[in-house]
Amino acid sequence: MMIQLVTTAQSVEQAEALIMAGSDRIYIGEATYGLRHKGDWSLEAVREVTAVAHRYGKEVTVAINNLMHNHQIETLPDYLAALKDIGIDSVTAGDPGAIRLIRNANIPYWYDAQTLVTSARHIQFWGKRDAIGAIAAREVTLTELGLIQQQIGLPVEVQVYGPTCIHHSKRPLLTNYFNEIGRPNDGAEKREYYVSEPSDAASRYPVYEDENGTHVFSEDLTLMGQLPVLLTGGLHTWKLEGWHAGHAFVDIVRLFDKARSDLLNGRFDRLVMERRLAELQPEQFRLGTGLLLRNPEEIK
Amino acid sequence: MKKRPELLAPAGNLEKLKMAILYGADAVFIGGQQFGLRSRAGNFGYDEMAEGVAFAHARGAKVYVAANMVTHEGDIEGAGEFFCQLRDIGIDAVIVSDPAMIEVCLTDAPGLPVHLSTQASATNYETLRFWREEGLERIVLAREVSMEEIREMKRQVDVEIETFVHGAMCISYSGRCTLSNHMALRDANRGGCAQSCRWKYGFFEADELLTDEMAARDEEPFSMSSVDLAMVRHIPDLVEAGVDSLKIEGRMKSIHYVATVCNVYRQVIDAYCDDPVGFEFDPAWEEEIWKAAQRELATGFYYGVPTENEQLFGKPRAIPQYAFAARVISYDPTTQLATLEQRNHFRRGEDVEFFGPGFVRFTQQIDELYDETGAMIETANQAMMTVRVKVEQPVATDFIMRKRKAGVVNTPVPSPV
Repeated sequence: MMIQLVTTAQSVEQAEALIMAGSDRIYIGEATYGLRHKGDWSLEAVREVTAVAHRYGKEVTVAINNLMHNHQIETLPDYLAALKDIGIDSVTAGDPGAIRLIRNANIPYWYDAQTLVTSARHIQFWGKRDAIGAIAAREVTLTELGLIQQQIGLPVEVQVYGPTCIHHSKRPLLTNYFNEIGRPNDGAEKREYYVSEPSDAASRYPVYEDENGTHVFSEDLTLMGQLPVLLTGGLHTWKLEGWHAGHAFVDIVRLFDKARSDLLNGRFDRLVMERRLAELQPEQFRLGTGLLLRNPEEIK
Repeated sequence: MKKRPELLAPAGNLEKLKMAILYGADAVFIGGQQFGLRSRAGNFGYDEMAEGVAFAHARGAKVYVAANMVTHEGDIEGAGEFFCQLRDIGIDAVIVSDPAMIEVCLTDAPGLPVHLSTQASATNYETLRFWREEGLERIVLAREVSMEEIREMKRQVDVEIETFVHGAMCISYSGRCTLSNHMALRDANRGGCAQSCRWKYGFFEADELLTDEMAARDEEPFSMSSVDLAMVRHIPDLVEAGVDSLKIEGRMKSIHYVATVCNVYRQVIDAYCDDPVGFEFDPAWEEEIWKAAQRELATGFYYGVPTENEQLFGKPRAIPQYAFAARVISYDPTTQLATLEQRNHFRRGEDVEFFGPGFVRFTQQIDELYDETGAMIETANQAMMTVRVKVEQPVATDFIMRKRKAGVVNTPVPSPV
């Protein structure tokens, strides 16, 4: 049985290292059409990384999962034609207008409407409209993910590592805030900002601003301990998000690659693997399981 | 004469539905017992829906049902039956965002028009084209769309467009915020939103907590709270852009809010559409809007991306608050006595304002106040009690009597643009 590791990448060099570490699919994008990708993914870089990935027999997925406004939708056909020419393997998309154009361009797509992808029937709707898989909302519990995967033939991608976006505003909320308090905002986009919730001073939610507005991230999710459940539940597409894992990301991917082979060989040691992940985890970011292990009944 | 866009108002219950229509709404949107996003609003059972539909249709108005939940496994059970019931009751359309729900509605309840909810974040003309091809009649745009983008959409696609003109707003793209899920275990997309965006957060740069340092300098905590939307000054732009339906937010809001806001927008729409060339904005309309305001008001994304001035920081500015004091049950022109049903405490000697459909308004002092037996009384202090008040100008059934609540008065902040 085939388990696919999907990893973000911030450069061609990192992509190659990730492939060496076990990544099967490199996930990249830039801010006009995609959401929340680091690195300079010009078409030239996309061409380069695609050549590298294909040399190793691996795949490249490009993010087209932004909420498109008219000006983006207008130029999207040209971008898609360029991606098609490069020979990328698939894209992600959640905007129905973008999907319409992607289908016209005959490019395989993973359905990714972020927080909204919460049921089998919803995914099937897009399956009937040519989606080759779907990226489940991170707010869907593991119990529900299993139920969803059982009902459909398409692969449902599950995030096994890294932060996820829990708030997307089109407004520049950091800039607005700095203006409000009269604090200079030079290079705010390069610094790291976090908020903590009023009732949990230890919580850390990264906040980040770009041309698409403001994004608030969750804690770093990990399903390292639940990989056996994913395996038996038929959830075989594992996403690792390297947003702020930095240099540790390649090692983290390598660890998940080892976890995969241990699992398939019946040698998976949960406690050891969880401990190793904790050692690799940058200390300023909390590892957690978000809502994944909650009882669906708890969330109302 | 211009083509008149529909004025669409929220109706949290049957009484609000009736008042919205009496005060000028062409259509109302309500919630059913299931599949909505306002679990705490007074939602309608089938019998109440039928009564609402009868009332609305008798007056040429429409009733839409919001069923815009983002369903998880199991949630969708019974949706087909629900939609069939709505269709058979005579509901004019449903407002849906989840494609699974859209599919159920289109296949199980053919003949029931489907509108795409703002929760689905429709932000471009190709998306409009997609949903029109799927069989939807109307798209409620995301609140992030600008006036210029709407004009372009109208040029590109022939589908009805509905946009918000008034009320509270998510600061995120609607549906793309799960702060409430993660921080309060309440699913924002299934009616449980805890309004976490409006909380005050600790703020850090890299590892360093800035909150204490900032508090020492008396700086504002980080927050993501939007002021409310009010397009009252810009109705001509929306009419010219070809928007088909102008929507007022607020199924949780009071009767006073619904009546006041509908009354104003009805006036503005009619004034412009009847005589676009001679149209002049009457400042009384804006003054009236402020009487139902709960936050400061701005124009959202219509004319640009909102700045810090369109967010709530610091102490909320005191806006004069008005209370729904009584509803007029009947009026006797010979005695000039209005029979009122009390809704909030009031007394003799107090200044009040009466207003009614068609933007009729006047203020007076309550000089004569009688109970049901005709005895002069000093206060109307029992909920729903029936009293009579001598009025200085004619009123009619369903006029509202409002009074100022105690509180600091501040000059309204003028709308930007």
